[in-house]
Amino acid sequence: MTDSPPTDDRRNLLALVLDAIIPPSADGTRPGAGEIGLTEHIETLMRDAPATAAVVQAGLAKIEELAPPTPFPDRDAASRERLLRDVDAAVPGFIALLTFQLYIAYYQDRRVLESLGLEPRPPHPIGYEMEPFDESLLAPVRTRSKLYRDA
Amino acid sequence: MSEAPVDVLIIGAGASGAAIAWSLAETRMNILCLEQGDWVKSTDYPGIGGDWETRQFGDFALSPNGRGRPEDYPVNDDESPIQASMFNAVGGSTILYAGHFPRFHPSDFRVRSLDGVADDWPLDYQRLAPYYAENERMMGVSGLAGDPAYPAQPAKQPPLPPLPLGKLGDTLAAGFNQLGWHWWPSDSAIASQPYQGRDGCINAGTCLVGCPQGAKASTDITYWPLAIRQGVHIKPRCRVREITVGENGMADGVIYYDEEGVERKQRAEIVIVACNGIGTPRLLLNSKSKQYPDGLANRSGLVGKNLMFHPYGLARGVFPERLEGYKGATGCVIMSQEFYETDADRDFVRGYSFEMLRGMGPVFTALSGMSSGHISWGEKHHQTYDELFDRTAGMVVICEDLPEPRNAVTLDPERTDSNGIPAAKINYRLSENSEKMLAHSVARATQVLEAAGASSVITESPLQVAGWHLMGTARMGTDPATSVVNEWGRAHDVRNLFIVDGSVFVTAAAVNPTNTIQALALYVADTMKKNLANLFD
Repeated sequence: MTDSPPTDDRRNLLALVLDAIIPPSADGTRPGAGEIGLTEHIETLMRDAPATAAVVQAGLAKIEELAPPTPFPDRDAASRERLLRDVDAAVPGFIALLTFQLYIAYYQDRRVLESLGLEPRPPHPIGYEMEPFDESLLAPVRTRSKLYRDA
Repeated sequence: MSEAPVDVLIIGAGASGAAIAWSLAETRMNILCLEQGDWVKSTDYPGIGGDWETRQFGDFALSPNGRGRPEDYPVNDDESPIQASMFNAVGGSTILYAGHFPRFHPSDFRVRSLDGVADDWPLDYQRLAPYYAENERMMGVSGLAGDPAYPAQPAKQPPLPPLPLGKLGDTLAAGFNQLGWHWWPSDSAIASQPYQGRDGCINAGTCLVGCPQGAKASTDITYWPLAIRQGVHIKPRCRVREITVGENGMADGVIYYDEEGVERKQRAEIVIVACNGIGTPRLLLNSKSKQYPDGLANRSGLVGKNLMFHPYGLARGVFPERLEGYKGATGCVIMSQEFYETDADRDFVRGYSFEMLRGMGPVFTALSGMSSGHISWGEKHHQTYDELFDRTAGMVVICEDLPEPRNAVTLDPERTDSNGIPAAKINYRLSENSEKMLAHSVARATQVLEAAGASSVITESPLQVAGWHLMGTARMGTDPATSVVNEWGRAHDVRNLFIVDGSVFVTAAAVNPTNTIQALALYVADTMKKNLANLFD
């Protein structure tokens, strides 16, 4: 049943899949998707949208089917990624759906924004400082004759 | 249920409805505006929240189909490579526009005479120039005088200094300078400093989801407060179903649904339609009667015909350094009109403008990179993401569209809005001229980006989500057989019916239309005021 709550095994598998889609960065400055609570985010989306749940559950089931003899958790990163690409071919939309939702949530996370050199705040009401326009840039343009036609 | 009659009924509180309401207010006529959307509070805007980027997929989406608010109406654009964009609120689409505010060129009003295509307008640049100036004062335009792309007389004098270019703009300006091509800081309806009670821009970069700061000139904070102070009444969340006519064939009012969904009749001496290039033909075509069986003011058969968008192309350069592109007004950086006027050496007539875009925020960078295939998931994710984030600078090209009767707005036979009123359907195809122009322009945009230092360039043409400019579907002219309204916006067939939005455009030019839409509305209002004694003769 695709609308049943995921089992603990499935929940653990989902967390590993999310970390395979957005793993921690090599330099350690950016967390993996599972690290910042996005497993719960995806589970919430699954609860709210049966169509989403169906695709995700089908993808997880396909991982379990294709993984033997080496279970997904026992594989290294490269091997997990290869398997996910096989699963994506067999369950269309599985990776695209997760990636789309992960990107939206991941790139709003405070830790991620800070790692990108951004202040973790909305643009308003503080905004950003910028230097005023430098008119000297226009010097060559000012030498141009008119570009419009008389009419 | 019938309301007390008014002298003037304006349908639509967007760019043009606001301008004409303000201008007519001095007549002390009893003026009422019905608007299907609501007021937008500054606290409603996404820019004050961390999810501001993703709300562009939801309640602040550009397309009414994606947004799906109850005040929106569906637009069936299945038969168009370009999706229609608009916003329904007090302020209309100025709530979400970029605020780019150029004028037409003089040649834009003489397309047939100069280039042998389309038609001339029944008025010219000189006639409209004082209304452009008035509108730029009212909206609070930032810019710089002296642009060689525009006539020196009458001079274009934006009331506020230009917005900052930032590192991204400086980089692109250097690219144009290296090629010796024209560019100029954008004329922007965004206050670069405090102006007439509005705060100055704080470079937050959220213009396309509205401006909580109030620096961007949406008409709910420019024209409307002044018009209301002068006695104009506005009723939000009231959707007009049809314009009604009397036995004499004149408009006598409208039937509308109020905010509770109750059907009401509002009588009026003068009806002004300001519903945009899709909403206006939709309303007229929905206003059938025994006198006007094909829709109101449609004896020419041209209501809904000649729909013009601006076909847009996009080129996004990837640069080796970070550009701070998340800072600054989203769409208002610099404009180039190097290829604006017709050149006989090219394989198309008319021309196009370049407009620079800021970079993308963190979420949009990821989704855009996912869509284009430039950002991977998995082990290479962070590396490929870092190659794009804050390292892109975009350019859009705005190509002039030419009017073609086959490009049309009609009524959808099945879809309706939340009040059961038939929705609009668009049939639109790019012309061969537009295809050639797009190819030329995207190639030149790529050239500029490379000259500015881009290591690679990502292009998209035509840009699907770029149906911001809706024009031509109730064109103006002096001949009732070939136009819907006369040279001052009065319907040929219905002498107390006026149209003041982009529907009346004869041609589209190759610039954002809002300044011209509003200048025309002010011109129509002025002409009405001068002819009040014999307005219907």
